[in-house]
Amino acid sequence: MKRLLGVLLVLAAIDGAHAADPFVIGIIAPTTGPLATVGSRQLAAVQWWEQDLNQKGGINNHPIQIIACNDEGSPDRAVTCARDLIAKGSMLLLNASVTGPIRAVMPLLAHGPVMVTPSPNVLPDAATYVFQTSASDRDITTAIADYLKQNHKDRLAMIASTDASGEVGTASAAAVFPQAGIKYDLARIDLRANDASIQLANVVKDDVPLVYSNYSGAGAATVVKSFNNLGLTQPLLISYANISDAFIAVIKNDMPGRLLGTGMRSVAPELLDDPAEVERLNYFSAAYKAWRHENVDQLALVGLTLADTAEAILTHVGDPKNPDAVRDFLESTPIKSVQTIRFSKSSHIGLHTADIAILEFKHGRWVKADPLK
Amino acid sequence: MNPLSQAVASGLMSGAVYALLAAGLVLAFHTSRVVNLAHGEAYAVAGLVASALSGYGWPRYAALPAALLAAVLFLTSLEHFLLRPRRDWPVGSLILITLATAFLMRGLLQVVIGVDPLSFPRLFVGPPVRILGGIIPLQGIFLIVIGLGTAAGVLLLLRSPMGWRLRATAENPEMAALLGINTARMRLLAFGIAGALGGLGALLLVPLVSVDYQSGLGMTLRGFIAAAIGGMSPSWAIVSGVGLGLAEALVTTYMGALAQDPIVFLALIGVAVWQSRTIMFGGSVRA
Repeated sequence: MKRLLGVLLVLAAIDGAHAADPFVIGIIAPTTGPLATVGSRQLAAVQWWEQDLNQKGGINNHPIQIIACNDEGSPDRAVTCARDLIAKGSMLLLNASVTGPIRAVMPLLAHGPVMVTPSPNVLPDAATYVFQTSASDRDITTAIADYLKQNHKDRLAMIASTDASGEVGTASAAAVFPQAGIKYDLARIDLRANDASIQLANVVKDDVPLVYSNYSGAGAATVVKSFNNLGLTQPLLISYANISDAFIAVIKNDMPGRLLGTGMRSVAPELLDDPAEVERLNYFSAAYKAWRHENVDQLALVGLTLADTAEAILTHVGDPKNPDAVRDFLESTPIKSVQTIRFSKSSHIGLHTADIAILEFKHGRWVKADPLK
Repeated sequence: MNPLSQAVASGLMSGAVYALLAAGLVLAFHTSRVVNLAHGEAYAVAGLVASALSGYGWPRYAALPAALLAAVLFLTSLEHFLLRPRRDWPVGSLILITLATAFLMRGLLQVVIGVDPLSFPRLFVGPPVRILGGIIPLQGIFLIVIGLGTAAGVLLLLRSPMGWRLRATAENPEMAALLGINTARMRLLAFGIAGALGGLGALLLVPLVSVDYQSGLGMTLRGFIAAAIGGMSPSWAIVSGVGLGLAEALVTTYMGALAQDPIVFLALIGVAVWQSRTIMFGGSVRA
């Protein structure tokens, strides 16, 4: 009898030591197709977070379980992914895709779950369950306008793609540049084009001090290479989504004289002044590099903002399956990450113009951009 | 910069590659009667292999021939292992096999080389050249010269004894076999040349742009449009390839990138309708 009781006690102890049910989080990311560079790096950051947190025992004894779905950058596939992930019990959706696919998923979330995305082109209504952890494309465009004004320049040449991301970029330019007194010439480029010299020739005149490529994704290398093919000497400013090591690797043989980019301030650590943000960045940079043998770039950082937002929700919201509770939490609590993300009851956009820096690629890393000459 | 000159310069660069692809597609079509929908994959294979090997530090004189060889091996393997044993199958089924092969190769390239676009350094380095207000990189000039020169070389090949054997295999394989021509070898040769032409296009163009695992489909489409507009004739396919490159560039310059696809495909429909009209009123149907 004593032996039986002992066995029961041991079994009970083992059972008590078991982790609670996992927190299931779905992530939609294009890991194949022309946007794979964007999706796979964000997904990698979220997967790093999953293993890092699970090694530490999870959140409140719950392990994290990430379920990924590849939408291939297609709106149809994204909708299928969202339905599938919700059916599999995802209490939160992370969306590391691009404008069209993210927008296609949003109508499915009228009753939750909460979806968090870092795409600057997505401007979620504050009445929805969608939150965006980057600055808006308009805020990024404003940062470009501010940079031009600081340098006493009022001209710009711009290349935008013909997809939904390009439409957003075009609309932001029309809203921001004229208001800031900046004249700009715009040319559009098809996503599959293998030459952008015609577009560049149409908009880049000798008196243009800066060329801005709003084109996101790996295909934007076409713009950089064509820029070099034409022997243009102006600084070239590339888009938020292309501040990655993978993109630099593609264009390394065709570097413009000055390569600028729009990015989160945390891409250049010297621009951070909050010790908690610096600490998070340093920890992530070291651990991610050890895990994936890759340096942290902007895409990894925006992926981390998704993970940190999810961690804050799972840590502090009593019932993370309740979308209203999650929304109330996010609207009232700043999220600490490599940059502090602040949503409010009137805005579901987490970063703003002041969180964006104009960066320059120098000596193998992104730093604060020098003035335009 | 003069927009017209720039459009012509860009159009000639693209057109030279389309001409190479169209010539290879037509050559393979004439000997096998199969429109090879995996044709553009030879471009992707050569571009990615050259980029990857260059990335691993291989010298150019080794990486580029290896890439060209990979493209040739890919298309000759398709012919030897998949198409030849099924020669008695309906042509539609054989075309489906080539389509499946294209997707198989895309998957293979994705797994082996990855999803990121790649490129490799230019073969011809120097300051870009200004011509009539247009700017063209030195590599672009060599691309046009070598591309069109090679395409013209294919036309000369077709007029040689080897070319006669290829054409005989295309026009009447049974009779050609009775005359002692090794038709299987001729088909293999045609696919090998097609692979080399697609691979050469990649080696010339990729340093100016980039290539990824899914670049092949677009190149198949461009090559096929040029070949179809040229009535599947080798010489007209080359002319159509150059014309297609120029048309794309001019449409982009004067009507915008959004108009490019609708106009190119409208032109394809127009040519197809025109060609069917010729058949109906002056060709085989009436006869």
